[in-house]
Amino acid sequence: MALPKVLVTGGTGFLGSEIVRLLVQTKAYEVTAIDINPPALGTGTFSDVRYVRANILQKQELSKVFHEAKPSIVVHTVGVTPAGQARYSNKGREALFEINVTGTRNVIEVSKECGAKGLVYTSSITVLVDENDRDFVNADETWPTGRAKLLYGQSKTAAENLVLSSNSPEFPTCALRPAPIFGPNDPGAIPTLHGCIARGETPFILGDGSNLQDFVYVTNVADAHVLAVRNLLNSGTAAGQAFFVTNGEPVTLRDFCIAVWRQFDHTPPFQLRIPKSIAWWVGWAAEWATWAVRSETTLSRGAILDGTAVRYVSISKAKRILGYEPKVGLEEAVKITCEHYKQQIQSRAYDKEETLR
Amino acid sequence: MPSPLSLVYYAFHPQELRSIIQWKVWHNPVHERDETKDTESLKRCFHFLGLTSRSFVAVILELHPDLLVPVTVFYLVLRALDTIEDDMTIPLEKKEPILRNFDSICEEDGWTFTENGPNEKDRQLCVEFNVVVEEFKKLEPPYKVIIKDIAKRMGNGMADFCRNASFNADGVETIKDYELYCHYVAGLVGEGCTRLFVEAGMANPALLKRPELMESMGQHLQQVNIIRDVREDFDDGRRFWPKEIWSKHVDKYEDLFKPENKQAALTCSSEMIVNALERADDCLYYLAGLKEQSAFNFCAIPQSMAIATLDVCFQNEKMFQQNVKITKGDACQLMIDSTQNLQMVCEIFKRYIRKIHQNNNPHDPNFLRISIACGKVEQFIESIFPSQKKPVDTKANPLSAEEEAKAKAEAEENKWDMIYMGIAIFGTLFLITSSMFFVAWLAGARFDIAFTQFREQMGQLLGTSNASSTTVEPGHSEL
Repeated sequence: MALPKVLVTGGTGFLGSEIVRLLVQTKAYEVTAIDINPPALGTGTFSDVRYVRANILQKQELSKVFHEAKPSIVVHTVGVTPAGQARYSNKGREALFEINVTGTRNVIEVSKECGAKGLVYTSSITVLVDENDRDFVNADETWPTGRAKLLYGQSKTAAENLVLSSNSPEFPTCALRPAPIFGPNDPGAIPTLHGCIARGETPFILGDGSNLQDFVYVTNVADAHVLAVRNLLNSGTAAGQAFFVTNGEPVTLRDFCIAVWRQFDHTPPFQLRIPKSIAWWVGWAAEWATWAVRSETTLSRGAILDGTAVRYVSISKAKRILGYEPKVGLEEAVKITCEHYKQQIQSRAYDKEETLR
Repeated sequence: MPSPLSLVYYAFHPQELRSIIQWKVWHNPVHERDETKDTESLKRCFHFLGLTSRSFVAVILELHPDLLVPVTVFYLVLRALDTIEDDMTIPLEKKEPILRNFDSICEEDGWTFTENGPNEKDRQLCVEFNVVVEEFKKLEPPYKVIIKDIAKRMGNGMADFCRNASFNADGVETIKDYELYCHYVAGLVGEGCTRLFVEAGMANPALLKRPELMESMGQHLQQVNIIRDVREDFDDGRRFWPKEIWSKHVDKYEDLFKPENKQAALTCSSEMIVNALERADDCLYYLAGLKEQSAFNFCAIPQSMAIATLDVCFQNEKMFQQNVKITKGDACQLMIDSTQNLQMVCEIFKRYIRKIHQNNNPHDPNFLRISIACGKVEQFIESIFPSQKKPVDTKANPLSAEEEAKAKAEAEENKWDMIYMGIAIFGTLFLITSSMFFVAWLAGARFDIAFTQFREQMGQLLGTSNASSTTVEPGHSEL
């Protein structure tokens, strides 16, 4: 019997490549990976995976690829995340919604057209927590979305709604909402935190430093995707549902930072607490300063809110329905990720030396 | 009589003194015991209970009448077992068969044991063990089955450890051994108690389906004791901290107690502490399964003490020099709070978890692990007692929108209720005051004089222009 076919959009990306790897490992699926970029150097490719270059915004091209691949299940991971200060800005709405929402609509439509039997969508915890001026203490999937104040969360909410509302017995869909993802080749979290060391920002604690937040290791998220694929192909109990996916180990943001810095042999030489109310004004001032000198800083009111909010959720639904269990613990995950980043920095330094010669 | 030093202490910690008084004055046992009906042997059992167990005796004595005797007998059986195991003066050939057959000894009429060394503090219990046997035989059959089963397994486990030469020479080797040891001496107690509770209908039978929860109850208590007593045990020649942990920090066990290894000893202790701390959420989960107040108190008090003890030991180098303890005032406060309900116990756990988290040292190798353990407890407590209400989804749920409108109308109504009530109160006050004035006036009170005098006095007090009006104007004097 032929293996069920799974198509992964964004299959060479940070999360997508990990999903492809795990799908291949199960030996239970025939995998097609599509991406706007070819596999990046240094990331693994698999001989038994079909890699196809395609843009999800080009619907005709997409349709052709899908009809060739004839996937049973589509895993849609493509999305853009505004990084740095762009996260708090209201600029760039069109481009963001184009990829995150229109792209998702295209993927849903061509999936249905080519006879796919289900879709797993990579949503985000931000559908909830991008209502960024409030705390989320052990929230669950029954909490209403649609209150996000930041563009990214709004775009993910719109796309998630598209996915879940297209759920039907013939085309079951589900959405996974990972917490901030980190891992090897991670473009965001770890490099940003590492940057704080050189800038001497590590001693400052925003707020009281007791706010718990959720994180998740990339392989654990990929695991959840594989479980969701299996669920939609079998019992289908996940159909029409959204699931939070985290490491299930909320820690204070401050402790997470310290744990990362320690991997780079740095411990803050002293600690200085900046109360939340003062921090807000510091952020406000920093925004003006940034505007005046037109440079990039780490601080802004948005960043202060991100840094001082309580944001963690319950993963019992994913455990119950998908059978999800975070396999790589937070401690180990931080270690692996930072080791990898250290090597990257070293080889980059080496490359630089080479070119100078 | 309290020592003068403690008087000074309480002068500066009135809150703790208040807790002690409050506990002593206001605490009433859930179930009062009627001692007059006790048989001679049972009286003797309670006598031994008072002698052997310091921390447990109060909570055992307050247990539900159905559980009181089974738990007392269970406790004494285990105590006797422990006394024989601990005694280094008994040769192994003699000790082993007794340990391994303790379940049948429980039913052997008139069984006594007189060969304990003179220094064993619970020696007398073994000498008069026949009273325990007598009471054991009177128990309901299901209780007997449970006690025998636990005694058998514990006795065999202890015998295994006694036979193990390396355990006797160098103490516990691996973390696995350490947890196995704690399982025999405490995890099994947790199992026994749980089965007794369920048998008496005082705990949710579902607890038996989650054996890891009752295991954690015992492990948590035992590990905390082992951590706290490290110095005392060392002085007595016993080593319970597993080599797998201490060898990461010092070369020899005795190095833990040398002042120059202060830092290494502290990091070692924090690794021991995090092992115990990772059981804390299970313990709360377990407590949620207890249905009867006295059983709840019996389990909750030691757990609260344990978490507070962890906080006292955490990052405290004194634990390697002396026996560190929670203060008496704190202990009383913990007992007051632990004898209420699960939510109060959760508050205790949260309070101590946060203190531990605050003292977490970024240089500690187990920094993140400790932080994760603390976060887990917080999340677990949130899952049973959420601190945040989920917002109402007005779009997806028109029904709740209606409810919200209703709530609004209700709030409006409440507001007007308040206003009417205010008017009524002030109206009544006004009516009473004015009628009093009226009666006074009828009786001939001179309010006009009182009023002018009042004005003058006020004027003098304030020193304003009113005062000058009383002085005679110079122009008039010439007339």
